[in-house]
Amino acid sequence: MIRKLFLIVLMLALLSAFAVSAQDEAQYAGLDMDLSGITIKMANIGGGQYEVMYDAISIFEEATGATVEIVALLDGFAIDQKLKVDFATGAADYDVAWDHTSFVAQYTPFLLPLQDYFSEEELAPFSPAILDAATIGGDLFLIPRHADISPIHYRKDLYEDEAIAAAYMDATGEALTVPTNLEEIDRQARFFVDNGHSTLGYTLAGKEEALTGRFYEMHFASGGSLFDENYEPTFNDDIGVAVAELLAGWYADGVIPSDTTSLLWDGVAQYFCNNDVAIKLEWYGWYAYFQDPDSCAVAGNFGLARGFTGLSVGGDAVRPSGWAGAHAFSVPATAPNPQAGVQLIKFLSSERVAYEEALLGFLPTRGDVWDRIIADASDAENPLDRERLELARIQVGEDFKTPPLIAEWIPFSNIFYPHLQAIILGDVSAQDGLDAAAAETREMMADAGYY
Amino acid sequence: MNTRSVGPNRWRNEIIWNAVAWAVLLLLALPAFWIIMTAFRPNVEINTYPPVWIPKRLTLEAYANMFGLNPDVQQRVAVESYLRNSLLASGISTFIAVSLGTLAGYAFARFRFRFHTTFFLGIMLSRAVPGVALSLPLFLLFNRVGLTNNVLGLAFVYVAVNIPFTAWLMDGFFRQIPKELTESAYIDGCGHWSAFWRIELPLSLPGLATAAIFAFLAAWNEFQIVSVLARNNAAKTFPPGLFAFTEQFTVDWRGMAAMSVIMMVPAVIFVILVQRNLVSGLTFGAVKG
Amino acid sequence: MAANSNSPAQKENQARFAAVNRIEAGFFPFAMISPAVILILLVVGFPLLYSLYVSFTPYELLKPNSLNFTTARALRNYQKLLNDEIFWRSLLNTIIFLAVTVNLSYVISLALSQLLARVTVGQSVLRTLLMVPMMFAPILVGMQFRWFFNANLGLVNNFLISVGLIQEQGQIAWLVDVPLGMITIIIASIWMNIPVMTIILLAGTLSLPSETFEAAEVDGASGWQKFRFITFPLLAPFSYIALTIMSLDIARAFDIVRIMTDGGPARRTEMLWTYITRLAIEDTKFGLGSAMSWITVFLSVLFTLYFFRQLVKARIVQ
Repeated sequence: MIRKLFLIVLMLALLSAFAVSAQDEAQYAGLDMDLSGITIKMANIGGGQYEVMYDAISIFEEATGATVEIVALLDGFAIDQKLKVDFATGAADYDVAWDHTSFVAQYTPFLLPLQDYFSEEELAPFSPAILDAATIGGDLFLIPRHADISPIHYRKDLYEDEAIAAAYMDATGEALTVPTNLEEIDRQARFFVDNGHSTLGYTLAGKEEALTGRFYEMHFASGGSLFDENYEPTFNDDIGVAVAELLAGWYADGVIPSDTTSLLWDGVAQYFCNNDVAIKLEWYGWYAYFQDPDSCAVAGNFGLARGFTGLSVGGDAVRPSGWAGAHAFSVPATAPNPQAGVQLIKFLSSERVAYEEALLGFLPTRGDVWDRIIADASDAENPLDRERLELARIQVGEDFKTPPLIAEWIPFSNIFYPHLQAIILGDVSAQDGLDAAAAETREMMADAGYY
Repeated sequence: MNTRSVGPNRWRNEIIWNAVAWAVLLLLALPAFWIIMTAFRPNVEINTYPPVWIPKRLTLEAYANMFGLNPDVQQRVAVESYLRNSLLASGISTFIAVSLGTLAGYAFARFRFRFHTTFFLGIMLSRAVPGVALSLPLFLLFNRVGLTNNVLGLAFVYVAVNIPFTAWLMDGFFRQIPKELTESAYIDGCGHWSAFWRIELPLSLPGLATAAIFAFLAAWNEFQIVSVLARNNAAKTFPPGLFAFTEQFTVDWRGMAAMSVIMMVPAVIFVILVQRNLVSGLTFGAVKG
Repeated sequence: MAANSNSPAQKENQARFAAVNRIEAGFFPFAMISPAVILILLVVGFPLLYSLYVSFTPYELLKPNSLNFTTARALRNYQKLLNDEIFWRSLLNTIIFLAVTVNLSYVISLALSQLLARVTVGQSVLRTLLMVPMMFAPILVGMQFRWFFNANLGLVNNFLISVGLIQEQGQIAWLVDVPLGMITIIIASIWMNIPVMTIILLAGTLSLPSETFEAAEVDGASGWQKFRFITFPLLAPFSYIALTIMSLDIARAFDIVRIMTDGGPARRTEMLWTYITRLAIEDTKFGLGSAMSWITVFLSVLFTLYFFRQLVKARIVQ
């Protein structure tokens, strides 16, 4: 009898343990609606790193009976161009569109406000800072997928070599430690290049919004702001000139690559991957690639640190760098099946899908997923795996800063970056180049009705 | 003149001419060799430093990935639909453009009519309109009538784009046909149409072939218009399809090269088949005004 | 039946087209050209008229209400462009690009055709090699050449390093430096243009009467003299055919520029085409972009017209 009871208790215990562990699994969402016969059209982002998301879609199709048709698979900038043309012509006949915090402000009149489709509970796990960036004029237009922000990446061998440290001490009178501000980066990068320790001191993307964003970040970290409260351009102030001069000096002295102005993210990452760069800001998203010894010589030879603070010309206003953005989904106002589209978004941004994607190295936008991956990483073989996540959580939580959320961000960038390129290449002085960019920007903003 | 010194000199000159010609043309063709090698080499040999000039081994992985034969890689590139759309748009438009262009070319070559020059120049100049200037207004208009994302809509545009060149080539061709032939056709009692259809058209087949190749290749390689008119895979052809390999952060050069090789196949076939016609077809009318 | 009366007007007409006598045929020729004309009007004419209208409005893609014509603002886009330094710069770049590409393509093709005319070993293989660039779509040409000229991983720099011409640190930034960016794009465009031009000039060279050369040889003419005073003048009609074909196709170069540099860096290679795309689509200023399109159409038409006149002249000489 007692034996029997014991067995029952044991079984119950086992069962409940099972139930608890099942409860502990990350859960899908958005599968609770029958969508049989409905075709959801989706304009999605393309890339091998999004395999998990593509695979997840078939789970959604099975569970809900819906068919998901991918009408476009493009990189982010190509989707932006597609959306503009489709919105302009009323051709946006899809239910879900990939979107980004840097782009969304341009198309708010053409997007469906999503706050009524999501309960407070459903939104609670998402980072408030990112939801803030997704809300324009009180309406929520984006459901974020994953965020990105850049820590300093540095080559460990340069900072662990005592001979180099001693030489640096002789040359500058200060200890060689991982830099925390732009001036230190400047001194160290130049030192490494001048003494042949590293082919390059620094790298940054040198065209399009990537360049505008990096400038914005350095300017911001130095206490500056691109626009004042009336949206008058202020990037041609002393801080802007100092940042632009820093970049031009780096280019002239070979601290950054000679083809900087044709580099986008992949080109920049390649230099670091080849072990050619001493220090740089780089997105967390590249981590798995850099750590793979088959693809990168730098694997195992780099460390991470929080974003730098800016140039001292900014005085007390300097703050850590943190240009950030989030990949997201939105629903076009012209979507034929908005509710079904919302269901797909709920599913793709659910804890389970977000967790599986985060395992690949993406930074989550949900607090519950953060908890999971940090717990997972606590017994990782490489301590950097855990340090990285802890650092990232601090940066996303405290330093997350999107560019101005105005529809004119990309047109502004298209005006701005060629001028900055001209400064970097030495075609014009920093002050003249920035003044010219400011004048053009002002005209564009005036046309758009800002003043 | 001392012939004994000219002999070896000529011999030496000839060796130099041949050697230079070979060197220059091999250099010219180098990019094609490189693409083909890229398509068949293992991924680790691409984007490495120092570069691997000669592949250590060859592999069909890129094609296996592309056609979904590799279970580890989910198929993302819709090669089949690019191929289908490319063939349809290029094939249909070539047929119609060559037909209409030949009719127009014949009219310009044989007949006198009001505004002859105006029409001729007008048609030619329509070709000079850059694709950028055309593609967006076309999109706005096509969108109203539901012709975007539609292979037939695309073919329709390519017909118009290809007519001028076809008409011009055929005009030159018909002019090359000796006028006595035409005259005897009329004496035999042929009407305008049967003189064209029964006598002159068969004589201009080499010209038709040249015009067809150019029209086909122009449609096959066209990028600006299709990239605006085709918003999804239902109407995308190979050129915008190449962008499927440009991903958010990286470019899959091998996949792109592999698809480029497929894309070049029709061009290669054409060039081999009609090499001879191409030469005579392009130089009509220069020999005989 | 064939009309052969030689009125002065007809003679003029005959000379203008230097063709066989044309036949008066009433309505028939109009029936033959009308399908082509109607189609072109629909696909090219109509959109162009629409974009002409748009070019007089402040239309922005994402502001539907801005497609709104007012006489007061009608010419604003054009005024803006005329005062736009970047517009003039891209116009200048476009002209430089076209002039250099067309002329150099012609000179290189001419040289190549003379070289090929003398080849005795493996002629057919060489002619097939010559046609290789024809097999590339322009967009593919752009992608390949961008890759070849990449500063870090490109074949060109790696080749120069491995033969010791440059140092590993001194990689040349082909797509960046002035004037290398422009030169690189021009190289790619020339590469694409060579086959058709060379084929035409080669066929022309081979068709020249050999008696003329034999006579010149007897007179003791040097190789250069023979080329300068016999081959080159006799090739004129072939040259103009080649140049006309090229001018009709020149817009294909846009794909190359867009892929290789997209007008950058710092607008060093900005051309009308890249600037239009940036303005009209990325910046959504469709009205302004349309105005610029129209200026481009105007220039292309002038360019084509010029070669056409030359072609007609060359035919009359024959």
